[in-house]
Amino acid sequence: MNVVKKLFKAREISSFLCLLAMFLLVGLVNPSFLKPQNIMLCFNGSIVYILIAVGMAFVILTGEIDCSIGAQLGLAAAVCATFLKNEAPWGVAILLALLVGLVCGTINGFGVTVLHIPSIIMTLGTNGIYRGLIYVYTQGKWVENLPAGFKGLAQTNIFGNLCWFFVMDLVIMLLVFLYLRKTRHGKRFAAVGDNEMGADLIGIPVARTKMLAFIICGAFSALGAVLYVSRVGFVTAISGNGYEMKAIAACVIGGISLSGGVGTVAGATIGGIIMASISRLLVFLKISSDYDNTITGILLIAIVVIDSLAQRRSVEKARRERLAARVTETEGGADHE
Amino acid sequence: MQKVETEALLKIKDIRKSFGSNEVLKGINLELNEGEVVALIGGNGAGKSTLMKIIMGIYQQDAGDLFIHGVKTDLSKSSLALANGIYLVPQEPMLFPNMTVEENIAMGFNENKIEMHKKIVDMIAHLGWDLKLDRRANTLSIAEQQLVEILKGLLRESRILIFDEPTSSLSFNEAESLFELIEDLKKKNIGIFYITHRLSEVFEIATHVAIMRDGIVSLSGAVSEFDKSHLVKALLPPGSELKTAGESTAVDYSKAKPMLELKDFSGYGFSGLNFEVYPGEILGVAGVVGAGRTEFATTIFGMDKVKGGKVLLDGEDITGMGTRKVLDKGINYVPEDRFLNGIFKIRETGWNISSAQLRNMSKIFLNKKAEKELADKYINDFRIKVTSQDQLMGSLSGGNQQKAVIARALSTNPKVVILDEPTRGIDAGARGDVYSIIGKLKQQGVAVLLISSDLEEIVELSDRAISMYQGRINHTFPKEKIDLDNLTAASFGVYEEGE
Repeated sequence: MNVVKKLFKAREISSFLCLLAMFLLVGLVNPSFLKPQNIMLCFNGSIVYILIAVGMAFVILTGEIDCSIGAQLGLAAAVCATFLKNEAPWGVAILLALLVGLVCGTINGFGVTVLHIPSIIMTLGTNGIYRGLIYVYTQGKWVENLPAGFKGLAQTNIFGNLCWFFVMDLVIMLLVFLYLRKTRHGKRFAAVGDNEMGADLIGIPVARTKMLAFIICGAFSALGAVLYVSRVGFVTAISGNGYEMKAIAACVIGGISLSGGVGTVAGATIGGIIMASISRLLVFLKISSDYDNTITGILLIAIVVIDSLAQRRSVEKARRERLAARVTETEGGADHE
Repeated sequence: MQKVETEALLKIKDIRKSFGSNEVLKGINLELNEGEVVALIGGNGAGKSTLMKIIMGIYQQDAGDLFIHGVKTDLSKSSLALANGIYLVPQEPMLFPNMTVEENIAMGFNENKIEMHKKIVDMIAHLGWDLKLDRRANTLSIAEQQLVEILKGLLRESRILIFDEPTSSLSFNEAESLFELIEDLKKKNIGIFYITHRLSEVFEIATHVAIMRDGIVSLSGAVSEFDKSHLVKALLPPGSELKTAGESTAVDYSKAKPMLELKDFSGYGFSGLNFEVYPGEILGVAGVVGAGRTEFATTIFGMDKVKGGKVLLDGEDITGMGTRKVLDKGINYVPEDRFLNGIFKIRETGWNISSAQLRNMSKIFLNKKAEKELADKYINDFRIKVTSQDQLMGSLSGGNQQKAVIARALSTNPKVVILDEPTRGIDAGARGDVYSIIGKLKQQGVAVLLISSDLEEIVELSDRAISMYQGRINHTFPKEKIDLDNLTAASFGVYEEGE
């Protein structure tokens, strides 16, 4: 009973209900949207989004943001694809992609925690830098003709037409979920975002935790890049463009607060699925998929506005309670001559 | 070294700390022994919090050493202080609002979860508190949050606990149970620093008392050696008793019509205020931080919600009007923290002065000439030291910034000016200039509300004074009764009529 109650209070549940409502509404207009086959295609479409949203969750939980993961993903994908094309062993290509992600994340973390640059500025800057490097690295050309075997990975289904990458994502998400919620070390991320001063006071290394969040985020973008290469089969200079918004929106829709400290990667995963579904449902609604980004943006802003209004109200309420507590209840000692 | 040093639980030796050119601690020496409660009292800016933050590793001292059991100890980081068994229960609780009580307490501990849970439950049972562990911190009242903070300190088996005005947000009953807890801690040989603004608490729970004033310890020793009048005296600057109210141009109140009148005015942080200010009068408002002085001023100025009562300006009801309207009606507020609210740092001084008048000078485009004349007039009148009125505001000294901010307030020809800590952090010369500006206001028939923690300032300038304590006006002083003794006692809530 208690568990059920707790479950319904969780912020992820409203995201899940949002996902369900979205499917049902589109199903009303076009029942074929609800066919299992299509639902699985929505899941398949989310394999990259889920990973980058999980990585982004680390950063947002600490109260920061990473606007460079689209370019990080593109750069890692370009490196991975180039090595695959040159018939390097898959393992080498994947490790190099991860290395790119780790380096990108470290640079972001360095700027934010050591140079004290606001994360939005730092990562906006590195977004430009990383994106520029993709052009330099690929000389603006497509990286294609990748080994069929590698591309086949994303075509390998384990259940109906459900790609095994999706299941892998869920397993990764579950491990991260347990790490963040159940381990002492993992809880630091939310603690830092929840109350930075308070975290400092009890001896949590705030800067190191933020640094780690950016590095993990970079690693997840790189992992997303590997899946991207396998799924899409080629990499261009604009690969991953706009993915930062998808990841941020996925987190926010999944109930992770941009002010830090609140939310889980389970929510981010649901958010990732919603992001992937939007482009598919537009097709079923016979609306041009050109609207995809516009809708994502509107959703992002709407949720953030609602969230911050609620937050402001509770902060104001707390301030007033505190002030009211300072006033004595009795009119003691007043002596008006 | 000496034997004495090996015995003290914590010895603070010649600690100094400056922020910029402002020396906050000028060589502090204090000792804390096991089972002692040392009450730290002192006015705002006396350096109490700075000292505690140094012990807690939040700030680093510029000079001086800390000894624990006679061993010189590095407490330059909060993790080091924690490792040495020091815990600060902050005045404003610093919980993680989105975590449960249990998560909050367990955060930063290394024990396993089940053991920790048992410890927490045992501790709460031992204390006899009613605290549900699965509640989220943001649903707790301030008092409950304070209890969680104290639990955090206790579970760390801290040897030194620092309480920073713990009762300022507690109800009477809650404060009582806190005192019982402190008695208990004394018996367990824990050393406690207890910062408070309430002198009565000193005699209730402290074993020792230390009074800080202007960055030094002006009195310390066992509580039994002192009574309230000693403490009040030590809070005052040396030789200040000699200073009584200066020659007064007594205002005849019988015929005067009040310019500003508060009737049972209540809001967040203050309640049931009744007073009036007359044209050409300076009304001093004394009290300690948190007494509700800034809160009532900002509420009059339309920056917060009114809970009840009335504000009358020249007989007109202006209760609950927005800031823009209140300004138009003729009330001007010069905020306490000019860095936060008062100035446009990266604009020219002239622009800063004229900025409150922009609406009256422009149809569509600003009348640059009128703007410049206005700024020049005030720069000359107030002796604001600038190279030209184009000098950026941020590059002026604090005193000159303050003069410019007051100048701006005056440029609107107000009927009432509320000055909130007008001379905090500015040098003596500028202080004199600000005083003469305030004097000019008075001559021009402006009603002045002077909120200040610098009680000497209130004594020097005020025609009448009120003191606030815990959100209410606890005393009103006519000119002849305004002196440092009375104001200090009233601010700390221990003033007795006919003292």
